[in-house]
Amino acid sequence: MEDRLAVTHFLVGAVFVVIGGGLQLLSLVSLRFGYLFPISYGRVEPAANLTLMIGFAVISLVGGIYYVLPRLTGTRLAGARLGALGLLGMSGLTALGLLAIFLGFGDGGQPLGLPWWLDVPMAAVLFAPALVTIQTIRGRTEERSFVTLWFVLGGVVWLPFLYVAYLVTHLPGASAVTVGFAETFFSAGFVTMFLVTVGSGLVYYTTVKERDVPLASRQLALVGFWSLGFAAAWWGAAQLLFGPGPGWVAGVAAALGLAWPIGALANAANISLTLEGSWAGLGEKPAVLSGVLGLYLTVGVAVVAALAGFRSVGSVASLTPFWEAVEYVSLAGVGTLLVSSATFGGLPRMVGRELETTHKARRFQRLTVGGSVGLLISMGAAGILAGYSWVAGSNSAAYVDAGDGWAAGLGTTYDTLIFVALLFAIVLFAGLGGYATIIFGTVARGRSMPQEVLVSKESPGE
Amino acid sequence: MSDQLSAAAAALGLPEALVRRSAEARAAETGASTDDILAQWAGGEAAPVSAAPEPAPPEEAPPAEEPAEEAAPADEEPAAREVVIEEPAKPAEAPTPAPSGPYKPPVLVGTRDNPMAVLAGVFGLFLIVVMVGLVGPSMPTDLPGARSSHIDFSEAALQGRDVYAEAGCASCHTQMVRPVVADVGLGPVTLNDTNQVLGTRRFGPDLAQVGARMAGAQLEAMINGLGDHPAHNLDADDMSALVAYLSESTTDGDGS
Repeated sequence: MEDRLAVTHFLVGAVFVVIGGGLQLLSLVSLRFGYLFPISYGRVEPAANLTLMIGFAVISLVGGIYYVLPRLTGTRLAGARLGALGLLGMSGLTALGLLAIFLGFGDGGQPLGLPWWLDVPMAAVLFAPALVTIQTIRGRTEERSFVTLWFVLGGVVWLPFLYVAYLVTHLPGASAVTVGFAETFFSAGFVTMFLVTVGSGLVYYTTVKERDVPLASRQLALVGFWSLGFAAAWWGAAQLLFGPGPGWVAGVAAALGLAWPIGALANAANISLTLEGSWAGLGEKPAVLSGVLGLYLTVGVAVVAALAGFRSVGSVASLTPFWEAVEYVSLAGVGTLLVSSATFGGLPRMVGRELETTHKARRFQRLTVGGSVGLLISMGAAGILAGYSWVAGSNSAAYVDAGDGWAAGLGTTYDTLIFVALLFAIVLFAGLGGYATIIFGTVARGRSMPQEVLVSKESPGE
Repeated sequence: MSDQLSAAAAALGLPEALVRRSAEARAAETGASTDDILAQWAGGEAAPVSAAPEPAPPEEAPPAEEPAEEAAPADEEPAAREVVIEEPAKPAEAPTPAPSGPYKPPVLVGTRDNPMAVLAGVFGLFLIVVMVGLVGPSMPTDLPGARSSHIDFSEAALQGRDVYAEAGCASCHTQMVRPVVADVGLGPVTLNDTNQVLGTRRFGPDLAQVGARMAGAQLEAMINGLGDHPAHNLDADDMSALVAYLSESTTDGDGS
């Protein structure tokens, strides 16, 4: 039952990654060619976020959690039916949410834009995986905890509470400043406290399992875990640098925002040390390679985000496409690579079919990494250019009271960079499509291989 | 130890660093000494176990002898809750090694701990993060009686603010003037008591003071798709409310 549940999560997640990736690509088209595109950026972007965050990342990573939990705890998944209901709820609410946003019922908030009558049930269904995880761990027979257990427990518990905190700050009467911080807090928290935390935990499991080597350092893994848990609020708050809010926020955001690269680097270094001496032939292990690439891409994104938390960089990068690049790559690039590590490792074992095929997996990895890095650089550069243009526009008084700084004067350069970012987004989308093809191809056409079956251990005396 | 390490590494065909790390992990797992483990891997006698072995983790359970077809169906409730994993059977050309055969590292094992204590830490950390990262920055710090960014919007304008939010205007426009060079000329700095929609992206112009620089007709034309601005198909009520909100979006810095 638990393996079938995990496989279903992987398959549903693969459907949503294609839809979400497509919407995200459309959001960039809308940004670059807004006057031509029939749907505004303000509608497409929350729809893309909703599909990628809940439809893809949450559902796929929860599938990964359901895959590893029985294997790490030595017990069956407690409340598998609740898990199935959770899947139904998350996928159904995501589909309904898309409909609501496109029909104009969304509340326009960031990052998801759901109306309250979908926000509340969404928060409720996000508790389902947390309850299943806690109940399973409580009934464990294996008394030693592999580090993955910490990561999945933390991530799956933080997520629903994060959502509740986001909802509470959107109650009537909440100040505009509270709403602003809540939105950046939720976006950032989702990435670091859930996506990267659970994804890294699953990479630990996959690497050790696939390469059959012991973990290099449990301590380093715990540094990664607690750093990610504590980093969340701060790279988000950095986006509102110099905005309304207490003055101490800027300094604290810059200092504590460093926890994200520290946590990401700890995990990447730990996996590298674990693989020391067994790097050869890594290309034949797509699950491990995806994990390594995902962790190092996380480091890159985290460093870029942390840098922009400092006043010097923040005064130029804040409010610009720079941050859009960070969020875009975090969800589509980092998210897909970390998820694919779990699915490429777990799916063949659960369905008894080999991954289809190593060649396709490599192509997916190349497209995803290439598209992500290119998009991060080009869109980040467009952001910095926009930021400098505002400064120059203000200094020259050329655009006083116009509000759009000097971007109009540098229009072709800025527009060209956004166009280049759009091209890289197409590459990235091809990678996401490749991922979905592999997942469905494995289930439908993969070559038969021995299946890993969970077997009940007979009670003594039976 | 180095001789044994070299011998074990040569026997296994693996780098010494990896063999040493694996041997240490195996020693911690079984209670034997690292030297004994290395000697065993190098081809010597079996390592003595100085302490009672821990129960094997699921991944290290010996392969079940019965075929997978005889295993309990995965969706059937088991008689006992405890489960083990049946390792994939090795292909015919690579028979399963005997238990006393080549080394198998103790993977996927950790230390004894209490996950519920971790859970408590997770909750505690979340509360700290929420308090410091969310509640703290939201606390108003402006002194009363000083300059204000609060605007006394009309009823129609407040409806327009909802339209502004629902249409996703804040995805591209801020209503937030910051005390930085980039925002010089945009109007008075936005303070903590603002009741406009902040936004976090500025793909289009800042609209904190848009009412001071554009008339209602201009705003309506822009919303309908003037220039590069995408067209929003709003009904008449929503359009007039949104125009009211944007027209009233102006302050001289003291709330008036």
